[in-house]
Amino acid sequence: MELTHYLVVSALLFAIGTYGVLTRRNAIAVLMGVELMLNAGNLNFLAFWRFLHPGSMEPQVFALVGLTVAAADAAVGLAVVLNIYRSFGHIEVQQIDTMKG
Amino acid sequence: MNSLPAQIAFYSLAALTLIPALCVVRTRSVVHAGFWLLPCFVGVAGFYAALEAHFFFVVQLLIYAGAIMILILFALMLTRDAMNPNISQTNRLGFIGGLICAVLGLTAAAMLARQGWPVGGSHPADAAVQTRELGLALIGLYAVPFEVASLLLLAALIGAITLAKVQREPVPERAPLADLFMTEAVVETLDRSEPEPITAGEEAKAWN
Repeated sequence: MELTHYLVVSALLFAIGTYGVLTRRNAIAVLMGVELMLNAGNLNFLAFWRFLHPGSMEPQVFALVGLTVAAADAAVGLAVVLNIYRSFGHIEVQQIDTMKG
Repeated sequence: MNSLPAQIAFYSLAALTLIPALCVVRTRSVVHAGFWLLPCFVGVAGFYAALEAHFFFVVQLLIYAGAIMILILFALMLTRDAMNPNISQTNRLGFIGGLICAVLGLTAAAMLARQGWPVGGSHPADAAVQTRELGLALIGLYAVPFEVASLLLLAALIGAITLAKVQREPVPERAPLADLFMTEAVVETLDRSEPEPITAGEEAKAWN
């Protein structure tokens, strides 16, 4: 399969993740959408590496840093969600609109 | 390259990735959505294997299918009953958001499909050689991004612990040992068989 196929799959995965982020009420479900988008990004990096520069290591390093950011994002995001749950009693993103604790 | 088995494998992987992804964003139950992440991540790992990125195949399985999914499931358990399951799980943007994302995805896919990408690059090196090169690159030319990533992970670790830490009341005095043995059954026996009161300590000794 060629680069195009991978890019199309990645674009569709990204769009699905965006849909999750835009429409979900539950903050953890929003984070799941973000994870899908990050996966799509990493798939893009590795597809470009495989088909355009299979000899160089830059794309792999990029993908590795992207993976690290995804892991850090998940950890901090879920900690924030837990804190919100403790102070508000729910994690509905539409209703968390106060700036004061 | 585009042999029939390769095409079948690719389209099954695409189905394995995209259908669970749709379930993740559409399922009513958030716990089910969390579990739908697993086939999606495994499908992406399959794509990495097809792309001959062997190291990332393993890392995807370990970090996404292992760590991040478990983390999300734990968070779901800790915030259970956080949502009223009887109301819709999507917000007011449901329809418009779906429209926007369908247009985004389909337009991007159409543009990417029409673009004339160079076809048929050379194959990357073998798994062992490739992983060795990546490791050398990470401690050589790309040491700075590597260190920044590790610093980011450390900061995220400390930040997550600080944020998620419970501000508890000071721990109360330890309950006496006898109280631990004063279960309902013991109390019932005491009430029934012993007319004169007996101290809990003695009863605890007897039970020991």
